[in-house]
Formats: sequence, structure tokens, C-alpha cells
Amino acid sequence: MDVISGLLQGFAVALQPLNLLWCFVGVVLGTVVGVMPGLGPPATIAMLLPLTFLMNPASAMIMLAGIYYGAKYGGSTTSILLNVPGESASVATCFDGYQMARNGRAGAALGIAAIASFIAGTVGVVGVMLIAPPLARMALAFSSPEYFALMALGLAMVVLLAGRSMVKALLAMLVGLWLAGIGTDLFSQTSRFTFGRMELLSGVDFVVVAIGVFAIGEVLANMEGRKAAESLPVPKGLRNLLPTMQDLKDSRFAFVNGSVVGFLIGVLPGAGSTIASFISYGLEKAVSRRPEQFGKGVVEGVAAPEGANNAETGGALIPMLTLGIPGSSTTAVLLAALVLWGFKPGPLFIPENPAMFWGLVASMYIGNLMLLVLNLPLVPLFAQVLRTPVYILYPLILGISVVGVYSTSGSLFDVWLLAGFGLLGYLMRKLDYPSAPLILGLVLGGALERALRQSLMMSDGSLSILVSRPVSAVMLSLTLLILLIPLFNKFNAWRLKALDN
Amino acid sequence: MQKAWVFIVGAALAVPAFAQSFTPSRPIELVVHTGPGGGSDVLARAMVVIMEKEKLLPVRAQVANKPGGGGVVAAAYLAEKKGEQHTIGIFTGVWLTNPLTSNEAKVSLKDLTPIARLLLEPAVIAVKADAPYKTLADFVNAAKQKPGELKQSGGSITSRDNVVRQQLQKVSGSRWQYISFPGGGERIAALLGGHVNMMVIEPNEAGEHIRAGNMRVLAQVVDKRLAAFPNVPTLKEAGFDVTPVPQVRGVVAPPGIPRENVVYWEGVFKKLGQTESWKKYVADNQFEDAYQNAAELTRFYEEFTGQMRGILQEAGIKTVR
Repeated sequence: MDVISGLLQGFAVALQPLNLLWCFVGVVLGTVVGVMPGLGPPATIAMLLPLTFLMNPASAMIMLAGIYYGAKYGGSTTSILLNVPGESASVATCFDGYQMARNGRAGAALGIAAIASFIAGTVGVVGVMLIAPPLARMALAFSSPEYFALMALGLAMVVLLAGRSMVKALLAMLVGLWLAGIGTDLFSQTSRFTFGRMELLSGVDFVVVAIGVFAIGEVLANMEGRKAAESLPVPKGLRNLLPTMQDLKDSRFAFVNGSVVGFLIGVLPGAGSTIASFISYGLEKAVSRRPEQFGKGVVEGVAAPEGANNAETGGALIPMLTLGIPGSSTTAVLLAALVLWGFKPGPLFIPENPAMFWGLVASMYIGNLMLLVLNLPLVPLFAQVLRTPVYILYPLILGISVVGVYSTSGSLFDVWLLAGFGLLGYLMRKLDYPSAPLILGLVLGGALERALRQSLMMSDGSLSILVSRPVSAVMLSLTLLILLIPLFNKFNAWRLKALDN
Repeated sequence: MQKAWVFIVGAALAVPAFAQSFTPSRPIELVVHTGPGGGSDVLARAMVVIMEKEKLLPVRAQVANKPGGGGVVAAAYLAEKKGEQHTIGIFTGVWLTNPLTSNEAKVSLKDLTPIARLLLEPAVIAVKADAPYKTLADFVNAAKQKPGELKQSGGSITSRDNVVRQQLQKVSGSRWQYISFPGGGERIAALLGGHVNMMVIEPNEAGEHIRAGNMRVLAQVVDKRLAAFPNVPTLKEAGFDVTPVPQVRGVVAPPGIPRENVVYWEGVFKKLGQTESWKKYVADNQFEDAYQNAAELTRFYEEFTGQMRGILQEAGIKTVR
């Protein structure tokens, strides 16, 4: 009953015309920020902070949160159309999204991304509404050994992301892990592989590598073809630009998977939406009846990661609202905003400010609906981008990539890095090395190493800490199981062959 | 819109400064070393809001995030802007300790133009509410009985968290583990989840958890008791003869700017410290107002780095300068 009266109170706040307006402003701004690579939600929210002092805090919070989850909707657009991830959480969307676009199904990919985002985003809000405090307490039970097991589980996905050659996939992953090691070591404060460059002290930015290897590498490889200027196929007619019933049916499990995985990982302060999207993609492939089609443009390969990164938003708000613990840079800015407005975020925030909390929850239901209504009609429009002849499109992709990277860090060094990784991406394509394992290694490597070393410090050097705790033991067993899949497949093939003989 | 007009009119009226007194004629770039949401970023944005409200500057100020290397990139950025009159930056303790431990961190406060010290951030030592330790001595004695078994969560090993640990271990002859977490949220989560036994935490963050009954404070890392913790002993009162290392925030400018610019900025930040909005912000966050002018800041820098170098070396951390 508390929930219902709370929610009614929340809608009373969120449905005030002014708050509806701010919610709309937030989600539109968020979509725009998400579409453009570079400027992310934390920077946008920070820039708008001075403005929020002129608003009442509930309206301001509704708007800023709108930017946060709105950006997740927009992030998929450039991933699908141009193979340029708009933000790190959209990298996994590139795998199948861009391939769908190449097959002339850009509209379906964009549409399913919007629908998955809506479903998972809404599930995330339901989660915040119903189980925030108990879930936050459960998340506290999760510590370094569990994080290590989670990262190991994610890394084991490499056997699922491998193309034709497992050796090449593992090599690419090792390079990714090495890249993750570059920078200042947290534990000893020494620098590793920085070659005396201070720009490398904080490591290699994941987005630089992803845009380089995916977008630039793709453009270089395609330019080499020197085919007459042709554009990607875009079917005519509105109906062909939206997902079909079959697409929705194929994505049924992905909607659930993305919602649950994204939400649960979002609650953990040490994980984040990028990891959520990768794990959800891997899980989708692991249980799929057509795993061999993944990476060639299947619709559930878009639905799962897009759903996960939207459900993550709801999850990430939980430790922030119930404990005052920020799990990501965006929630850190939101937390700072609450302090500046005179609130005291912490365990007593929700009980002492119910109108604010429920107003936010209600506004997120409304905002997600607005985003769906806003984004679906944009799909056919965005799909037209691909009608652009490649001699215009490719320079455009290069330009967007460079501007995106430069606007994130403001450092020319990163632009050079981008060029280097573009070349690497091109070579990997030529030599048939899959790029997904490289990205996976880079995403998970840092957290994996940190969690392992933290665990070993906690146990004073004993490895048993990793398997003596039930949650991490279960996840490590799953990891082992996934690693055995290729072996099992080989055995099966051999058995069938033997049977034939 | 109104702000935009103020800016345009301000820019049009401001006469380029020739010698004597300096007045900014373009928007001020306020460099911070964290991304949006980091400690210095939040401080800088609050500062901009207050300065605008109190009309302390004839132009606007914009925060520029130059993250990387825990402050090294931002310091180098300022050093490169030699002679630039419309850029200033917010420094913290890591700007002072980085050059001691990192070969790549070539820029120290000496290579920039110190302007003013603004704040000291106190800290408290907290344990989970259901922990058996009622006093700091309880904790230290428990650590002495089981060397290396108790754990503390904190930031990097050059952070104040670890410095406090090193100092306490030294005077008491005890030893406990120090586990680094990159994010403040993870440090608190590790304590609340019972995965570590103790942490050094900002009083404001601890305050809400104490009010909710999740945490207990054993001692405060300050010289004088904080207003919000009248019944909690300082380190010395708790029986540990340790000089608290201050967590400092202040303002620097690029090297090679004229003397009158320094005087101008000293004036601005002195005035800032006297405004009601700033006083409220400082009180809300339980910071300590610690204004020092450029000359005093330079002396503070010398003392601080000397003290830190000694502590880091004793802790077995390699110093390069």
C-alpha cells in the first residue's frame, strides 16, 4: 500500500505541467547528448548545474535524471548507423547493430533498440520503486572476490565472441588486457607502460580504442575496396523501416535478459553499464538457438545490450538514493547536485524526502514513455542517413570520430591514439582477428585486476577467498562451464563424425 | 539569457588591463583535475555559482575538466599556459604529492603561480556501527593482537587515508591491511558490507550514516574538535601523538603572470571567503575555512611536501624527488 500511495504522490508531483516540461527537456537533451559521440551525460549535467539553482529541486532532479536515461536511448543511434559508439555503454550494440544496418535493416535495429530501451528502462524503474532498500543491502554483500568472479565470467564470454579461430580471439583479448594495464597502478602508485607520457598516466580511454578499432578500422577496410560510390541499402516504405513481429518475437528473451542483467549489475557500485551490456550480450549468445548468427546482424544482439544499459540506470540510482553511494560518474554529479541544493543524501534521504523520491520515480515512467514516442518516429529519419553516398559518409564518420574523441578529453594525444587504433582495427580486419575480444579485455581488465588484488589483500594472500564465498564460487563455476563449451562442441563434432563412420 | 547579457556587456565594458591593476576581460577558465562529479569539480562549480551570485568577477567563469594522472595532466596544462591571464586552477593535496612519487609528474606548485589556500578538509575515523571497537585504542589494540588481519578501505597509497594509517601504525607498533578502491562509493560500500573494518571518511559523508545508525566514529583527524562531533576525541586526545596531515584545496595560476594579477586574485578569493554563501557552503560540507595568501601558501607548500616526503619514505613508498 505504501508503494501505491507513494506512487500516487509521485505522479501528483511529476504530472505538474512544469515538471512535465522539465522532464521533456531532460529526455530530449539526453537523446541529443547520447547521439553525439563525445559529450556525455556527466559533463552535460555538470554544465547545467548553475541553471538548476533557479528551479525547484524536484523539477531539477527530474530534468537531470531525464538527461541520464535519455542519453542511453540516443547512444545506440551512431553505433548502429555508423559503427561509432556514442558512449561506452553502446559499444556492444555495434556488434550486431551495424551489421544489421549493412544488411539494410538499420530501421529495424534502431526500432528494436528503442523498444528494448523502453522495456528495460521501465523494468529498472519498477525495481527502484519496489525493492530499492533491500537490494541496496544485498549489493553491500558483494565485495572484491565477487567482483573478480563477475569480471572473470564476463571475460569467459571471449569463447563466445571468438570468430573462426579461438587462438586469434584469445590473442586479441590479451592485447585488450594489456591495454587495460596501462597507466598508474592504484595499489603501488607506480606507472606502467606509460613510456614517459603523462597523457597515459590515467590509462587508455576505452572510447578511443572502441571508436578507432570499430569505426576507423571499418572505414579504412571499406575504402580499400575502391568500389564505385555506392550507399548501403535502405528499403523504401515506412513498414520496412520498423521492426517486424518476428523481430519482436526473436527479442523476447533479450528483453528479459537485458532488463534483469542490466538492473542487477547497475546496483553494484563497482561495475557499470558497459560491463552490463557486454555480459547481457554474451548471455544472449550463450543461450541462443542461433549463436552462429551473432555478429552478423541478429536483432536480439541489439536488444540485449541496449536493454541492459537502460535498466542499469534504474539500478545505479539505488545505491545513490538509498545509501548516498555513487556508482558512476553520472550518479556522482547527481549526488553533488543534491548536496548543492541543500539535501543530505544518505540512508535517510528517501524517508525524509518522499515527495522528491516518488516524484522522480513517477517522472521516470513518464520520461521513458516520452522517449519511446520521441525515438520511434525518428527511426525512419535516421535510417535515411545511410542513403548518403559513401564518398560523403566515410569522411563524415572520420570527422565525427575525431570530434567525438577530442571533445571528450580535449587532448590531441587522444586523437593520435585514435589514429593508431584505427590502423590496428584495419590490420585486425585484414588478418581476420576479431575486435570484440580486444574490447572485452580492455573493458574488464582493469576491474578484474583490481578485484583480484583487493581480494588477495583481504585474505592476506590466500586464493581460497575466491571460492569460499558462495556467490563468487557460483559465478566462477559458471565461468568454468562457459570455458568448456568449445571443448564440448569439439567433442560433439567428433562423436557425430565417429557415428557417421 | 540574463547571464549571457551580463557576460556580453561585461566583456564590452572591460578595458584591456595595462600594468597597474588587473581586471579580467574574458571569461575565466577554471581548471580542475577531476571529471564531472569529482571533489574538485564539485567545489569549482559551487564556487562559480557563488561568485556569480555575489558578483565577485566582472566576467563569467567556466569549469574546464582536465582529468588524468590524478592531477598530473591538469598541472601540466597550467604550466603550458605560461603567462595566460585568464586561466586559474584548483589544486589539492595530490598536486603536491604526485611530483614526489611519479617521474611523469614534472610540475609542482613551485613551477606554477600559487594564489591562495582556501580550504582544509577534515576527516574522521569510522567503523561499522556493529563493530566491537568503541575507541580508536580498541581498534589499534585489536590490530596489534592480530597483525595484518584487520582491514582499512581507502584511496591510493599516497592519499591521506593511508598517511593516517602509516602514522598510527608507527606510533602504536601495530599493523593492518590497506585496501585501495578507486571510487569513494566503493570504499564506503566495503565498510558497510563488513568487508573491511575501518575507514578514514569525510565528516559529511559519515554524518548521514551515523544518523541512520550504520557507522560509529572513533576519532577525528584534526587538531581541534569539529562542531558536528563535539564528543569525539581528536587523534591526540585519543592517545596517539600524531600530527594530522591536512587535506588542502586552493587556487593556482599559470607561471609567468604579473604580480598585480596575483594581488587581484588574492583579493577575489579573500572576498569570496567573507561572503555568506561561501560560509554556508563551507559549513554545509563541514570544511574548514583556511584562507592563506600567496606568500603564506608558498611556505605551507614547503612544509607540507617536507612532511609528506618523510611519511612516504617511512611507509616504504618510493620517492623520486
